[in-house]
Amino acid sequence: MKHSLQRLLLATCLLAPPLAQAQNPAGPSAPEAPAARPVAPAPAFPYPIQQKQLANGLNVVTVPFDSPGLASFFLVVRAGSRDEVEPGHTGFAHFFEHVMFRGTDKYSKEKYNDVLKSIGASANANTSLDRTVYHMTGNATMLEKMFEVEADRFQYLKYPEHEFKAEAGAVKGEYTKNSASLYTQLNEKVADAAFDKHTYEHTTMGFFKDVVDMPNQYQYSLTFFDRFYRPEYTTLLVVGDVKAEEVNKLADKYFASWKRGSYKPAIQPEPAQTAPRYVHIQNANFPPMVSLSYKGPAFSDQSKDLPALDVLTTMLFAENSPLYQQLVVKEQKVRFVGGSPNMTRDPYLTSIRASVVKAEDMPYVKEQITKALEDLKSKPIDAKRLADTKSALKYGFLMSLDAPDQIANSLAEFIWLTGNPESLNRYYALYDQVTPADIQAVAKKYFVPEGLTVGTIGPGATGGVQ
Amino acid sequence: MKHTFSRLLLAAALFGPAGAHTAQAAEIVELRQPNAAKVVVKLQFRNGSSADPVGKEGLTFLTSQLVTEGGTKDMTSAQLKDFLYPMSTRYYAVTDKEVTTFTFEFHKDFIDKFYPVLRGLMLTPSFTQEDFDRLQSNLHNYVEQVIRASSDEDYSKFALEDQLFRGTRFQHMTRGTAAGVKNLTLADVKKQYAAAFGQDNLTIGLAGNYPASFAKQLEADLKKLPKSSVKPAVPTVAMPKGIRVEIISKPDALGSAIYAGFPIQTTRANDDFAALMVANSWLGEHRKSYGKLYDKIRTTRSMNYGDYSYVEWYEGGGQNMLPVPGVPRHANYASLWLRPVQIAEGLRKQYPAELGDLKVGHAPFALRLAVREMDNVVKNGLSKDDFELTRTFLRSYVKLYGTTPAKQLGFLLDSKFYGRKDWLKEVDGQLAKLTVDDVNRAIRKHWQVQNMFVTIVTDDSEAQPLADVLKNNTPSPMSYANVVKAGLPADVVAEDKAVADYKLNVTDVKIVDTKDTFK
Repeated sequence: MKHSLQRLLLATCLLAPPLAQAQNPAGPSAPEAPAARPVAPAPAFPYPIQQKQLANGLNVVTVPFDSPGLASFFLVVRAGSRDEVEPGHTGFAHFFEHVMFRGTDKYSKEKYNDVLKSIGASANANTSLDRTVYHMTGNATMLEKMFEVEADRFQYLKYPEHEFKAEAGAVKGEYTKNSASLYTQLNEKVADAAFDKHTYEHTTMGFFKDVVDMPNQYQYSLTFFDRFYRPEYTTLLVVGDVKAEEVNKLADKYFASWKRGSYKPAIQPEPAQTAPRYVHIQNANFPPMVSLSYKGPAFSDQSKDLPALDVLTTMLFAENSPLYQQLVVKEQKVRFVGGSPNMTRDPYLTSIRASVVKAEDMPYVKEQITKALEDLKSKPIDAKRLADTKSALKYGFLMSLDAPDQIANSLAEFIWLTGNPESLNRYYALYDQVTPADIQAVAKKYFVPEGLTVGTIGPGATGGVQ
Repeated sequence: MKHTFSRLLLAAALFGPAGAHTAQAAEIVELRQPNAAKVVVKLQFRNGSSADPVGKEGLTFLTSQLVTEGGTKDMTSAQLKDFLYPMSTRYYAVTDKEVTTFTFEFHKDFIDKFYPVLRGLMLTPSFTQEDFDRLQSNLHNYVEQVIRASSDEDYSKFALEDQLFRGTRFQHMTRGTAAGVKNLTLADVKKQYAAAFGQDNLTIGLAGNYPASFAKQLEADLKKLPKSSVKPAVPTVAMPKGIRVEIISKPDALGSAIYAGFPIQTTRANDDFAALMVANSWLGEHRKSYGKLYDKIRTTRSMNYGDYSYVEWYEGGGQNMLPVPGVPRHANYASLWLRPVQIAEGLRKQYPAELGDLKVGHAPFALRLAVREMDNVVKNGLSKDDFELTRTFLRSYVKLYGTTPAKQLGFLLDSKFYGRKDWLKEVDGQLAKLTVDDVNRAIRKHWQVQNMFVTIVTDDSEAQPLADVLKNNTPSPMSYANVVKAGLPADVVAEDKAVADYKLNVTDVKIVDTKDTFK
């Protein structure tokens, strides 16, 4: 949950730099050279990725990194709010993440806390559309203890019904704190409007009515655990002051007896959208906002669509772009404008947001953004601008990799998208191949009114934006 | 030269946490890491929002933003953004109460290309009217609107500081007040830049992969900064008489966000701070399920998302799992943070059968429970086992404070602020030496529950009923939904009764309209 929210919040944050694009790298920034000899480019990820799959399907990934005495231990479960297929259970993957801290026969929640204290770990979990991630970073010499307690709860979680009911209140508290932000409220409305059939129609928090009903879902929680907390859904990732042999040995010892499951969710595909949709929040005491959310592609490490969209949005909204210089610097009609595609397992949204100084300028701002997108369909970008953007993305990525938990987070994203961390290198190799023609092609394919959901915050009863 | 000088500073500082130091020239702190891919430069100035002139609240913050958002003598802001774009450099300024820190992060491949920009921004910033207008408008928008409608948690924290530091230069948000920001001019910014960002109130920090010549060049260039003529104004805050509550009434709040605190006279400069860290970690370590507050309010009673305690300011608590450097302060306070709890209006809607007549939500019960927990530890202290386990945790956990070069460097600069060489390393030795008696003594010396400030941001429907309960000290029984109530253990039911009747030493309760905050 926090991750996807964070990206959207970042993109709308008014006084922080627009970091949303900074996490995506590209290959070397040489100009396009399609006829060049096929030389394998250096992998984008600068550390060796060591993998071993257990017989039960659990994938074990080790990345040694120079962080003396420290290790990050991640369990990535490929189940998130996307997998909440039955009505009435929205937000359940996230709720279940909370339930995972309610103990086992061997380690009650108090004993589990005592172990975490003894490891000196920063430990937590978070859920998003496509996955749930459990993480702890702490004393590398306590690695075996990390394995022991995590293997125990992933296989033998056991919580009394009362404890389950009590935990639901914490999720309601989380909803309560999040909903203080109008951006959160807008995210919720836009997702609900943009999707009718697919589970992406609700945010990871879920619909409030389902959150209130959570204490009554004990039986469903047993089913949920049985379905998704299985080795074939899970990747174990260890980064830091560790060796692959040691990690693999411990994985064998603690996880080899974990039984494979058989469940596969039937997620309804979203039918093609045929006309623009509109949602609005009326509030006179908040900066007016226009958001344009276009249906985008699903993640793939074989297609150039997503890298091309990433390059396009990075370039279009960078602080040195003509659009930014016009709207933010010269005209000062906009406080912030930004946007980026999302990397998701199924097709989701590429969202663009602008915080507008005066409400009456909202139609103008929307028009200017749309015009800039239209221009990209007909005018190819120059080679230098493309090379500069690839370089910006590459160095942004490299600079983000300086702590074991940051490295684990970067890899975890590709693990939940495809199940294989090597996807990271395959995906970033595609950036090298993005051409001006690719940028034009994705602009034409995705930035179309039929795929658009407009969200607005403003003082009027409607956004007044068409 | 610089080594001798920092030893002098250290010697001067160990005698007490008094006011800001009076350095004569920039100190330099280095953390060379030849295997790192990037370089981090941090320039920390002893000014901060407490150095804002009266009536110009927000000036230091805006000045620092204008330095990082503008251009230089050699390049306009637009040219500079174009030049830096392919390098993906990051630089930003953070202004806290007593310091402003500029951070520059760039890949080692670009040392030579980026350095002239860094030097230009710090020595010859462009300060154009166009940039000023834009950033002032954004800042005004933040203090006037965004803070009231983005996070009730941050809102309650800044409002508590407004109450706790009232009448001092620590009162206003680091971003200023609505009137203060509106009052600023470009001339003010230029004046503040010349007066508050000097070579003599600067500590230079360098980390990562850079040649020795780079450090020399940086140090030599920053000597060209003028001498500063303003100082941060560090207040001594008097303990309030009793518990003084301000309730901020806001339309459409879904919960009640609570923050409480009282001044303490201890900072990282003092050795018994480590003892307080142990006590605090046991009571309410930030974002950890181990703390007493979290266990009783969230885990057992499921009232909210989390409950924590602090013995110093914690920046960005909603976003950060671990403390961030760059916010060191001499004027310190202990605090309790209760994340939003349910209000009566919401509970009536959610559970009409059992809570349809409810008059007030969970806020008074949550506040009583938290204060009572602190009261219990003041009276009874920690057990030997709890002490040992918590100390073991902290000795390992503090290593996570500095997992990146930028964070390590930030904590080194903060160490200098407190007159320490390397607090992150020293604290382990301090923790190792502690006994349970030391911790319990520190608790009794620094903590109490009779006097504190409390701020609660809540819905307008909740403000008056909540004020009535607190003012009259009437019992506030916990109102559970039946679905949770049915399975409550007997000891929890008994404790609930004691909490509901627990008397708070409330001496003042005021309701403030959201429109009247941060004016």
